[in-house]
Order: sequence, then structure tokens, then C-alpha cells
Amino acid sequence: MNDLVIETTGLHKEFRSRRGGLRVAVQGLDLAVPRGGVHGFLGPNGSGKTTTIRMLLGLARASKGSMELFGHPVPQSLPAVIDRVGAVVESPKFSPNFSGRQNLVLLARTIGAPTGRVDAAIETVGLTGRDRDRFKSYSLGMKQRLAIAATLLKDPELLILDEPTNGLDPAGIREIRDTIRDLGERGVTVLLSSHILAEVQQVCTSATIIGNGRLLASGRVDELLQGGPAVVRVEAPDPAAARSVLEGAGFAVSPAASDEPDLLVEADSPAEVTRVLGEAGIWLTALTPVRRDLESVFLELTEADTLGHEHVAHPTSGGAA
Amino acid sequence: MRRLLHVELTRLRWRRAVLLLLLAVVALPVVFGVARAWSTTPPSAEDLARVDQQVAEETARPYVQKQLERCLAKPQRFGLAADDPDLQAQCESFVLPQREWFLYYETLDLVQERDETGLAVVALVSVLLLLAGTTLVGHDWNSGSMSNQLLFETRRTRVWTAKALVVFAVSLVLSLVVFSSYWLALWAAARSRDLPSSTGILVDCLQDGLRGALVAAGAALGGYALTMLFRSTVATLGVLFAVAVAGGALIAVLGIDAQFQPQTNIAAVVLDGADYYVQVPDECFTDRPPPGIACDEEKVLPAANGSIYVGSFLLLAGAASVLSFRRRDVP
Repeated sequence: MNDLVIETTGLHKEFRSRRGGLRVAVQGLDLAVPRGGVHGFLGPNGSGKTTTIRMLLGLARASKGSMELFGHPVPQSLPAVIDRVGAVVESPKFSPNFSGRQNLVLLARTIGAPTGRVDAAIETVGLTGRDRDRFKSYSLGMKQRLAIAATLLKDPELLILDEPTNGLDPAGIREIRDTIRDLGERGVTVLLSSHILAEVQQVCTSATIIGNGRLLASGRVDELLQGGPAVVRVEAPDPAAARSVLEGAGFAVSPAASDEPDLLVEADSPAEVTRVLGEAGIWLTALTPVRRDLESVFLELTEADTLGHEHVAHPTSGGAA
Repeated sequence: MRRLLHVELTRLRWRRAVLLLLLAVVALPVVFGVARAWSTTPPSAEDLARVDQQVAEETARPYVQKQLERCLAKPQRFGLAADDPDLQAQCESFVLPQREWFLYYETLDLVQERDETGLAVVALVSVLLLLAGTTLVGHDWNSGSMSNQLLFETRRTRVWTAKALVVFAVSLVLSLVVFSSYWLALWAAARSRDLPSSTGILVDCLQDGLRGALVAAGAALGGYALTMLFRSTVATLGVLFAVAVAGGALIAVLGIDAQFQPQTNIAAVVLDGADYYVQVPDECFTDRPPPGIACDEEKVLPAANGSIYVGSFLLLAGAASVLSFRRRDVP
């Protein structure tokens, strides 16, 4: 049985500009999101994340390629699966003159959900007490929370969140992050599109990185982080001398920061760094392995993609890139 | 579908701007009807007594009596025959002040009302309902909530149809109630004044109301369909304004028959046929027009023709709107 909740194959989207030209937003994207957990969907601005999400939800038509949700082809079978999918696409979009509750009631009635579910959703996102105020009087954080409440009306198996923390203050970001993590732990599959990579790294179990509408990498977050050369931070009494010796021995060396004397050295074996410096009479003050974060992986991939480099992508449900 | 209809009806009920427009649909014809009934109120006994006194005073004036004597003496100067056996009465009615000279009032004539205020009320209600239709859905596009709605019901044709049905049904029922009340009130007023108010006239008026309600509901549906097509209330109103102004002018400039003017066709639907005028050849104005040339300037446009004309535009707008909504990406 196919255990992917989202699968796209060769997905392609072109927009025709008013001047008659074509703009390619998504080109041949193969996306695979496994069931369960929180899956990050990353890419620079304009890389095609929102367009992909909008195509999956039937808001935009794909130019080419195929898409499946829960193994059903979409958009053809969207009516059969949409009740299992909650989504917030870009900014929250509700009628500004209706109260938050009125907006939710209309959506709940559309799917035949009981009114009790509206109360529960409002309570879950912490809007109790403000739910009867007009939507236009809400802060951005409240609007985002209302949008998440709307997704909960369906009791979804799949939650698609497109930049859900945009414009939120740190407390709001934390609340949303906790909600997402909680949903993921409850068995809801979450596709989280975000620019905030630290946030993605904290809550996501797997991730897909795209650039210029193409897949750059996909896999479990810990496996994505394992890729690339190992780096160690070197602290030495004379950093300039240490750098010279290491570079002389063929290591790639860079300063840790412009205002820091520490060095970052690409080395598969930290012991080799110690040996080379020791033989030169330079005794280390500290040697720390540097753990790669998602931001560095993301920047490596997207910057290289911008320069036109080729990448080997592994769009799997569990493998590393 | 029933669920969606319920949702759209609730949405309409909660939209304050739409409710205000619907309130105007009720209130303005009431104002119109009251104004007509008021302006055609027969004079009171006090008014008549005051006028009679005025007539008596004027009649007693010497120059008036002198005029009467002149009329009796030389009736031919007043266009009357000298041998008229009823000369005294003729001259009195001709020369002496009459009640009507001092007391002008309109009579409530339902036949005349059908052609004049009846048509105006239909036009007014139609414009208001068109605005209501366009406002209801324009707000969905403007706020972006349309995309949110489509995340809960992805079958776009269903969404379009549910909204259209609610707009059409609410407009039809409301305008039917308004027009029927309007005509029943005027008929009751005429009846209470002992003016011609047969059941036949009432039936004609109510039939006008029914056809008018269909036109008004069609206007609301047209406004809705165009807004779903253009995705903006402002764009819809702009296009309608341009078509109303430029379209009419174009038809006139190109010398196209008045039977193709929108207002002629709408009047034909509401009034079960409408008169329009055509240009006839110059030969028609000679003493003896050549045989075989149609010289009748006045023509009648049947209601069926008007219905086909109006219905075609509505169908065209509806089809374009559905197709566009089904195919285009939703922002």
C-alpha cells in the first residue's frame, strides 16, 4: 500500500504574463510526503512552494504532471479527500466584517461539521473571548490562529501550513510551533512550508527543499544534516599561524566569524587536525565538532542551484539526500 | 447542495451591505407608492369649499360678468355658434372661472401607472438587486475568502450554482412581494376613491409585477455572474456602466433599430410588449405614399422578443462566468 499522503510526479506550472511571456513557477517537481510527522517544505521566495500547495488543493491548475493525495489523483478526486485535509495558504483569508466565529460557522456548515467543533477549534487556538469580534479587528497572530482553527474543523489527517508564523511575535511563533508539534504527535501529517529554518529544524521530522520550482533534496532532517563535509571549530593561541599550517596541509579553512579568532576547518578526522598542528608546535586550546544546521544545508543547496550547479536529489519517503 | 444553499443564505443574511440594499429594495417602492397615493389624493371637502368660494368671488367680478355678456352677445368671437340652444351654459363654461382652474390634482389611474411609475419601480429595484448580487460575491473575491471556501467545497460548479440560486431566489421572492404589495396598495387606494379599479386591471398590474420580479431577479443574477467573471465589484459596475452608456450610444449612432435598445426590451418584458419607433422612408411623408411601403413609425416589440434578448445576455454572462470560475486559478 502506498503510504505517502502527498505525491507529485513531474509537476509543472507555467504562468502566462500579461505581455504574453511564460513564467515557469514549478518544473517537474517530484514531491513525496510520508504519512505521519511534520514534513518541512523549504525553498527561497518564488521557488514554487505556495504554487505547489495551491495546485495540490485545487486552487491552481497544473500545466503538466500528476498529483495524489492519500493515493487519490487530484484535482479529479479532490472532493473525496478534501475533508481529510486542512490548509492555510499564504495569509489567512476570511470575511473581514464577520466575526471569527461567524467565519468558522460558515466553513463548518459547508462540511456539515457540528457547531461543537467550532467551539473546540476556537478553544484549541486560544481565541475564546475574542471569537465574537470582527475578523478585521484581529491582530496578525489572531488571524493566523483563526486560520489554524479553520483547519481543525475538519479533524484533518493532513495539515498543509504555508508560512503559518508569518508576522507573529516570538510568543506567537512558539504557540504555533507547539500546536504543530502537538498535531504531529497526535498522528496528523503536517506539511509545513516556512522560511524560518530553525523552526523547521525544531519541529520537522523530514523535509523537502526546492529551488526554482525543482526538487533539490528530500529526506529525514537528521539525514539531510549528515550530508556534506564534517567541520570542526579550532581555537589556537595563534590563529594566523594555525591557519597557515592547516592550509599548508591541504585543509579548507575559514574564519568562524569576522570578529572571532576561531577557525572552521573541514576535516573528516579531527585527530588529523590535532596531529598536523601538534607537529608544527601549535597546541590547541579547543577543538569542537560543528554540527550542520538546516540553514547551512538550505543555503548550500539553494545557492548552488542559483549558480546552476547540478544536484543529486533523492525524493524518497525516508532516505537522505 | 442543500447544505451549501443554507451556507450561502446565511452568508447573505450576515452581509450588512447586502441587507441594506435589500432594505432599500423594500423601502424605496414604499416611498414611491406612498408619494403616488399622496399626490393623487382627491381634494377634501374643505378644499372644495375654499375653491368654490374663490370661484364665486372671481365670478362676481365685473370684468368677468362683462366677458359673459360679450360672449352671449357675440358668441362667434368666442368660437361658439349664435344659434346654439345651450349658449348660456356654453358661455358660462367658457368664460366663468371653473373649479379646475384653482384646484389641479392628478387622478390615480392604474393603467397609466403601469406604463410610468410601475416601470420606474421595476428599474429601481432591478438596479438595487444587481448591486446586491455583485456586492455579495464581490466581497468574497475582495477579501480572498473565496479560496478559503474552496478549501472546504472544491466542486466549483456547485459553489457557483449555490450562490447563484440564493441570489436569484432571494431577489425573485423579495421583488415579487414588493411589486405585488405595490400594486395591491395602489389598487386599494384607487378602489377607496371610487376610481376605475376592476379586477382585470389588478390582474394586469400583478402580471406586470411578476414579469418585473423576473427581470429584477435576472438583474441580480447577471450582476452576480459578471462579478464571478471579473472577480471585482468595481470592474463589474464599470463594465455595466460602459455598456449602458457606450452601448446605447453605439446603437443610436449606427442607426440600429430601437428594438435592440436594452431598455426597450426590458420594457417589453415587464409590460408584455412595448412600443418603439422606426424611421420610415421619406416617401411616407408625401401626399400619396407609394403602395407597398411600410409607413407606420410605431411598432410593438412583443414580450417574447424582449425575453429572448434579455435571456440571451443573461445566458452568455452565466456561461462565461461558470467556465471562467471552473478553469481559472483562484488567488
